Amino acid sequence: MTRAGTWQHGLRIAAILGLLGAAAFPLYWMFVTSMTPSSELFAPSARLFPKPSEIGVYRDAFHGTSVTTWVINSAIVAVGTTLLSIALAIFPAYALSRFRFRGMGLVGFGLFITQMLPEAMLVVPLYAIFGDLALLNTLTGLILANSAFTVPVITWILKGAIDGVPIDIEEAARIDGCSRFDIVIGVVLPLVAPTLAAAAVIAFFHGWNEYIFAQTLISDQGLRTASVGLAGFVGELSTPVHTVMAIGLMYTLPAVIFYLFVQRYVVAGMTAGSVKG
Amino acid sequence: MKPQSRTVGWAFSLLVATVLAATAPTTAFAQAKEVITFAAVTFSEAGRGDRLKAWIDKFNKSQNAIEVQPVALPFASFAKTIFTQMGGGAGPDLVRFDQIDFYAAVAANRVLQLDEIINDRDYKFTAPDRYMKVGGKRYGTPFEISNYVLLYNPTLVKDRKAPANFDEFLATAKAASGNGVYGFAYRATMAEAPGFWQDLCNFVYGFGGRWSDEQGNLTLNSPKVIEGVIAYKKMYDAGVTPKGTDAATYRRMFWEGKLAMEIDNGGVAGIFNQQAPDLPLAAAPSPFPTRAQGLVLAPFTVNANTKHKTAAFTFYKWVLQPENQKQLQDLLGASNVATVVQRSPEDLAKRPWLKVYDEQTPNSIPQLVQGQELKTPEILQIVLEHVLKVLQGGADPKTTMDDAQKQAQARVARK
Repeated sequence: MTRAGTWQHGLRIAAILGLLGAAAFPLYWMFVTSMTPSSELFAPSARLFPKPSEIGVYRDAFHGTSVTTWVINSAIVAVGTTLLSIALAIFPAYALSRFRFRGMGLVGFGLFITQMLPEAMLVVPLYAIFGDLALLNTLTGLILANSAFTVPVITWILKGAIDGVPIDIEEAARIDGCSRFDIVIGVVLPLVAPTLAAAAVIAFFHGWNEYIFAQTLISDQGLRTASVGLAGFVGELSTPVHTVMAIGLMYTLPAVIFYLFVQRYVVAGMTAGSVKG
Repeated sequence: MKPQSRTVGWAFSLLVATVLAATAPTTAFAQAKEVITFAAVTFSEAGRGDRLKAWIDKFNKSQNAIEVQPVALPFASFAKTIFTQMGGGAGPDLVRFDQIDFYAAVAANRVLQLDEIINDRDYKFTAPDRYMKVGGKRYGTPFEISNYVLLYNPTLVKDRKAPANFDEFLATAKAASGNGVYGFAYRATMAEAPGFWQDLCNFVYGFGGRWSDEQGNLTLNSPKVIEGVIAYKKMYDAGVTPKGTDAATYRRMFWEGKLAMEIDNGGVAGIFNQQAPDLPLAAAPSPFPTRAQGLVLAPFTVNANTKHKTAAFTFYKWVLQPENQKQLQDLLGASNVATVVQRSPEDLAKRPWLKVYDEQTPNSIPQLVQGQELKTPEILQIVLEHVLKVLQGGADPKTTMDDAQKQAQARVARK
């Protein structure tokens, strides 16, 4: 390698490390804050490294709170929202991409309209409807409410990706005797797998982070999600900073790990369908 | 099996598993007792929350047929969540409201009238109980009553003495500031609008101002109100406050010895005492020209949507029993409860600041616009926006409060 090449390589490594540091720093700072002695939290100079003797805050968070239950509930809601959203979005996306029918523009516009209504505006009528349907205080209700917001977005993302799948492939499958359903499941979906992964990320994080519905539709403490459980520590008169940071870290890590697993698909998926031909 | 069929199979299995997990019955279904829910922000608080839950557990253990389930909601979104749930025809069976929200709930018929279960002659209620009646009818009893006084750390203030007037207050705060310590802290941001209003009320009341006269006419630009606003501004400009810090943080700074003084309610003093028993803590009347200060009054109500009225009333009456009132008062800190509960001499000797709080009671005034209780949320929004112009924009206090008065009259009082 030439001297110039070595320099370029070194700069690239430095840039990558810099970006990695910037991305990981918030997590590190949460960890350090959770393990900083209370008396040093408001010191004029910040502590840059955690104090190992403060590890007890994590033990207290596990034993003194329902953080495990909250994270499990969040996972159920996030996974449920992801699966339901994708299952409900695939066929409308295919139909919008492949069929020409009267009112198609209206259907597409209708999907956009749902995105114009904020959650806060819908929460009161949704609460009343869910009450009638016995869906209050159930994670199923929360999954349904979240899916209502993610399905339109995912439908449009998948439509864009399906637009990019050459129609010739489908015609070849049809000549081989595949039904329309088989074509969607067996031919189209594998070809838009990266976009499915991107859609899954969007739905998962919506379900994982959602707060307004989770707080309003759920009052049973055993069914709380982590977003609401965490906010519950912000009291009128005091907030236990260490506990909030420790639980915040436990809440953040599963989502980060999930993203690390699927991130390689995400960029490809988000750009799929942006260029046709 | 083809790979894609296997993928679909896995996805279907995962969907089924998630649906089963999401619909799994909770423990509540298995309970034989009639479960009623009780929502209060206090459940979220460090120390007090756990003690309050333990107090409720005492009721649960004494009952064979009823179980009260605490519902902790964050302070910032408490009222919005409860009103959304009430508007949807449900919500917790019992609610500890803040006073402003209580009047809104009464006006919307969202809480039950309690005259049928509470006979005034059966209880020795504390003075602020009078605010629990609207139109002569009772809609609640005080769950927590808390006065405001000056809390200070004697080791951080000059001569270990509390300031006696506002000039001394400013000088003491300035002298205490430095080396990571702040002299005083209060709220001055719209992000903490309810707390900002509480702190502003203390300054305005302390300087003799009121938001309305006896007939309910707004007096936002009266000379005494303007004096209170000017004092708020002087403190803001003195460089002694940790600007932008939220109350939960500066209260923690106090118990970490990083804050010399703050004007706060008895609940906070209780938290300081419980969380930092060794903290040098002293209290004194707020250093303003008059003793008048704000009052935290949290009404205890029954949701009009409750489907467990009898069970809710059973718990309600249990709360008002003398021994349970005594325990509630003790766990809340330097607060009072619905009925008069005498503090023991041992308690007063151990925590001398309790006496300062108790003596403040005759001078405490609700943080409401008298005669315009229902419109207080709108009026406070206008007032705070204008006071911020004074604090941050350097606007003239008199002109700004004149504007606030005009705007409030036009928008709220429709004059």
